[in-house]
Order: sequence, then C-alpha cells, then structure tokens
Amino acid sequence: MQLKPRVRRRTGPDVRCRLIAASCALLGASAARSQAVASSGPAPNTWSIDTALAYYHEDGRIQAIEPVVNVLKDFGDGETVGLNLTFDALSGASPNGALPSRNVQTFASPSGKNLTTPAKDYTTSPGQLPVDSHYHDQRLAGALDWQLPLTRGTQATLGAKMSYEHDFFSVSGNASIAEDFNEKNTTLSLGVNDEYDTLRPIGGTPVAGSDYSLFDKTAGKTKNGAGVLLGVTQVMSRRWLSEFNLSADRFTGYLNDPYKIISIIDAAGNTTGYEYERRPDARTRKSAYLENRVGWDRASAGLSLRYMTDDWQIHSETAQLHVRWWIDSQDKYFEPSLRWYRQTAADFYTPWISAANQSSTGYASSDSRLGAFHALTFGLKYGEKLANQGNSAGGEFSARIEYYQQVTDGHFNAPGSLQGLDLVPGLKAILLQIGWRF
Amino acid sequence: MAPPDSNAPAEAIGIEARGEDLLAVVFTAMASPCELLLPGVDEPAAATLGALVAEEAWRVEKKFSRYRDDSVVAWIHRNRGIDIEVDPETASLLDFARQCHQMSDGLFDITSGVLRRAWKFDATSAIPAQDAIERLLPLIGFDKLVWQAPHLLLPLEMELDFGGIGKEYAVDRAYDLLNARFSAPFLINFGGDLRANRAPPRGAWQVGIERPGTLRDAAMILTLEHGALATSGDARRFLMHDGIRYGHVLDPHTGWPVAGAPRSVTVAASSCTEAGLLSTLALLQGADAAEFLEQQGVRHWIVD
Repeated sequence: MQLKPRVRRRTGPDVRCRLIAASCALLGASAARSQAVASSGPAPNTWSIDTALAYYHEDGRIQAIEPVVNVLKDFGDGETVGLNLTFDALSGASPNGALPSRNVQTFASPSGKNLTTPAKDYTTSPGQLPVDSHYHDQRLAGALDWQLPLTRGTQATLGAKMSYEHDFFSVSGNASIAEDFNEKNTTLSLGVNDEYDTLRPIGGTPVAGSDYSLFDKTAGKTKNGAGVLLGVTQVMSRRWLSEFNLSADRFTGYLNDPYKIISIIDAAGNTTGYEYERRPDARTRKSAYLENRVGWDRASAGLSLRYMTDDWQIHSETAQLHVRWWIDSQDKYFEPSLRWYRQTAADFYTPWISAANQSSTGYASSDSRLGAFHALTFGLKYGEKLANQGNSAGGEFSARIEYYQQVTDGHFNAPGSLQGLDLVPGLKAILLQIGWRF
Repeated sequence: MAPPDSNAPAEAIGIEARGEDLLAVVFTAMASPCELLLPGVDEPAAATLGALVAEEAWRVEKKFSRYRDDSVVAWIHRNRGIDIEVDPETASLLDFARQCHQMSDGLFDITSGVLRRAWKFDATSAIPAQDAIERLLPLIGFDKLVWQAPHLLLPLEMELDFGGIGKEYAVDRAYDLLNARFSAPFLINFGGDLRANRAPPRGAWQVGIERPGTLRDAAMILTLEHGALATSGDARRFLMHDGIRYGHVLDPHTGWPVAGAPRSVTVAASSCTEAGLLSTLALLQGADAAEFLEQQGVRHWIVD
C-alpha cells in the first residue's frame, strides 16, 4: 500500500510571529517576556550591560553629571569579569572653608596660582558663605573585577580600580576569598585592599597650617591606604538573609584637602587672615555593618545599620531602609527608601581660628564634612523589566530620585560682628538617575 | 493528553535530592513523570512550591482530559449539537487553537482526534482501509465548529482533543503561578516539556532529551539557561507495515501519517506552548521539518 499522494500545504515562514501573538493572548505577557537561551554546547557566555546617567544638584553649590557603564561577562560556572567606567563632570561653587564675614572677602582661585594663566580672583559678598565659584572638575574612574570559583564552595575575587582627575590620581587593588559552609547557608569572606593616591594641586600643594597669603607651596604629595574586611552572610530562612561585616582601614600621608582654608577671627568678629587647614597625617577607621534582607511574595525589604569610628574622634551611625514593591506580576516595582546619618565632629574641627591663640593651634580644619551633622535622604526608585532583549537574561529600565538634607549640629559662639550670620550652613541636594540594563 | 494509566495516577508528590544542593519535587500528571527542580531550597519550601505546581498540573489534566467523565471536554462531548457557553479558560484555549489552525493552513487541528478511530498505533500493525479514513475526514476541521467566544456548538460526531497543547499549556500555567511567588531559579518539567525562569547558580540547566532508536538510545544533553523546550514526536509510537514505517503524526487533510516526518523535534522558545506548537507544526511538515524551523529562526534539534 502506498501513502496517498496529496497536495502539500506549506506552512508559511511567519508562523512564529503569529504564534507568539497567540501565545501571549493565551498566557498573558509572560509568554513573550524573554527569549529562550538554550544550546547543545557548554553553557553559553552571556553579557550584561548596565548603563546609568545621574544628575546631582546641590542647592546653590555644585552640580554634577555622571554617566556610568557597567559591563559584566559571565563565563558560566561562577566565573565573571566586570568592568565599570564612570565619568563625572562637576561644576559650580565649592565652599573654601572660610567663614562668612560682614565685609567683602577676596580670594585667589587655585587655578589662578598657575603662572601661565592670569589669576582668577573671586569675591564673596558680606554675610555670604565663601565659595570658589570657578570650581569645575572632571573625573574618570574605572574598575575591573575578576571573580572565579576555586573549588565548589570557594570563590575568589581580584579587583583593580583607578581614578583620574587633573590634580588627583588614585590606584587600588583588592583581593577577597569567600567560602560557603553549612550547605551554602553560611558564607564567610575575607578581603584586603590597598590604595595609593597622588595629589598635584594646581599651583603646588599648600604647606599644612601655613598662612594663605604667603603661598607657601610644595610639590605633589601622596597618601596610602590599606584595609581589611571580614564578613559573614547567613541564610536565616528562605525569605531572610542576614549579613554582618567588620572592616578596618588606615590611611597615611597627606590627608589635607589642598583647597580648604580657615578664617582667623579677632574678638570683634573681623577676619584678620586665613590659614591652610592641617590634618593629622594618619587616620584609622573601624566599622561594623549589619544588613537584613527579607522577601515576601510581592515585596522585599532591606534594613542596614552601620557604625563607624576613627581616631580623629568622628563617630558615625547610618540606618537605611528600603522596601521594594512589585506590581503587575513582578514586571514593575517601586522602591521607596529612607536613610538617616549622623556623625560627631573630628577633634580638630573648628569653623574658625581665633586670632588670640593662632600661634598655638595644632591640627585644624573647617571642612564641614569633618563637622558634626545629621542628614536624611528620601529616595524613590521605579524599575521595569524589559521584554525580549535577545540573548541576555532580560533588561531593566529604572529611574531614581533622591532628596538629601544635611543639618549642622552643635552651636558656635561667634564673636562680635559675626553674631547672627549662618556660619556653618547645612546642605540640600537632589539626585536624579535613569538606568538601563540590557 | 496521553491515554490513561492502567493505575489511576495517585495524586502524591515526592521529594528527591539530586546531587548536592538540588531538590526535585516529583509527581505524575497527564500520564507523564513530572518534576520541579529547585536548587538551594530546603525541603519544606520545596514541598510547598511543589504542591503549587502539582496542583496546577492536576487541575489542567482534570479539566481538559478527554479520558475523564468530569472534564470540560467530556461535558462538551455530551452536549454536541447544542449551543453551550464555555468558561473563560476553555474559551482562550479554543481561540488559541483556532489561531493555530489558521496559521498552519489547517495542519494543526484539535478536531483531528477522530482519526484515532481508524488508526491504532499498537502492536497489531494494521493499516486501516481507505474508505474507513474517508468516512472520518468530514468530521475534521476546526472551521466546522460554531465558535464565537464564549458560545460553542460542536457538531454531532465531532471530537475535541486538547492533547496537542495541554501539557505545554500546563507547564506555562504552573510556571506563571510559581514565578509570581518565587524568584530563585527553578525548572518545571512535565514529561519532557519544560520551562526554566533563570539559570541555576553556577552554570545552566542540563536537560537530557530522549532519542530512542539512536545507537544505544543515547540521550542528547542540552543546556538551558531560561525559557522553554518542548519535544514532539514519540519515536516509540509508530507502526511497521509491509516494510514501511508509519509515524503517528496524522495529516488532518488526508487522514494519513505525514510522510518523512522526523522521529522527534525539540524546539526552544520563550514559552512552552510556543515551543510545543512549533515542534508539532515542524513534524507536520514531514521531510521539510528542518527547513520549516530554519525559516522560523528558532533553535531546534531533530532526531531523524
């Protein structure tokens, strides 16, 4: 018996598109969410590329634009190589450390000390916080990470970072090892890092504590840092992960900000001169960090607490809470966050030096980042998974807004005419970021 | 769906350790061994998640099996010739079947099950008489149904069979249920039709596809990161008559097995339903299966 001859009805080449549409109607959007990644060879190499663009704006001061690119190559079997490139363009006005005054103050911009360019002086109106309004800087930073499994339960990471600005260069290396125990429910990790920085401020490096008007400058300076981190991560339950870290680091060398000066104030509140700041040439920091993450069916939350203390007598506490809310069958999420920060002042922090004991001053800095303050950050992030991005595990679009408010702590008894001026103002800043992963 | 087991499937699930740090929840549904693979999950969690998947498989089986008296399909068959109103899930499957019928120029047809009255792929190896086949052909054709959701009129003597899509549909349904509640890697496998949400930690899923008839029945090992794989064609179900091998894939236009069809076709796609339809349509192309799949631009593996 023969098979019955028949007219062949060829099924057209567009079947798949129509089928995808039909499957979507049947199954909902999940059918088209991602392309299958399957092969008959070894696990394929995958690429993941993260890009983000951030805009940062401080009220009346600095603004920055920061594009970021992250490339992660997954070789399978736990081996990955990641490359991060960041570019910052900062511009605006940066406080130079001097106090407001009842009189007009005139300063020479650091760039003005360069012999080849004319001096750029800037003046500050009475009652205003002195800021270098010519401030602009660009930073290019790159980081390379190589993660590789050594044995079934042991993972090693090697990394290198560098950061370049026209007056600053930093290189660092890090290495860490993580070991899984207890059926992978516990991970212990140990990491070390080493950093080497060079500073070449325009016009030379000011001699710490020298008179601003003497232009007492030296050549470039360096600083060195080394740190160690010990961590444990514990899976508490299927929905609860806990992480605890202890870390310490020590920096030595030229730790001053070469552009920060301090006002010298007489008993009447008049500014009689300025000095470059002078910080100790070593700083040791220790910190403890605890993070808990929990997940539910449609939400997840993370609470982290950090305590940091250093031998400059700065103690700080950070608490951060974020909640991620999935909507629309886990394709979209909202993530509100709240961060609280408080620090005490360095023991040599002083908003000004009084003329009476100018000669006896040791270390001194009026950099508000070393003063006592507390700050609150409110954030909201929105993320959305992107469908069908070819060979990758699925893309994501995200947008983030953060509002930061810093409030100065402590009370300063200003002499004479300075009373009534806001000597150490706080800070308000806003951050906008959009990102794509594909 | 596949014929009923002589032993009615016991609605029980078991949990097996598959090597270090991988649990498999195993159960039987649609006459197939089914499993849910969960790396890095403890046993109580695996039991909870496994129950979710198994319940969904059994629900779909119960609802759409043509072997059960209490299924929707049996109810439709009891109401031939009457305008009935079907539930939304059945309606969406009927809509899907109609679209597949249209896009395949009638090659995929859920009314073609009547041909089983003539063809028995069993040990008897009997070829039916041509007039027996021709008597059945008028009962085939999705376009003979009166279907306007939710109203269905199944003409007398016609049959509906969701077996060609039921198992893949059940995989996707179970996948959606689990994926909405669980974000760690998992793989759902109902009798060789499978779908994974993401690669397991350190590597990809290794999937063995049966290749009966090949040298020592060697399985083909595929790696899957995420997405679905479906296999059509049962290389064990064929009949030999006068030296000619008749596969069990029947062309609804002729009522005869498709000539030159591969023994099995495996397709990778984003959903199991899509993968299953593509592999079924490929088989129906007969000797042109490979060419058809190339045209669709999907990853596929063919056993001739």
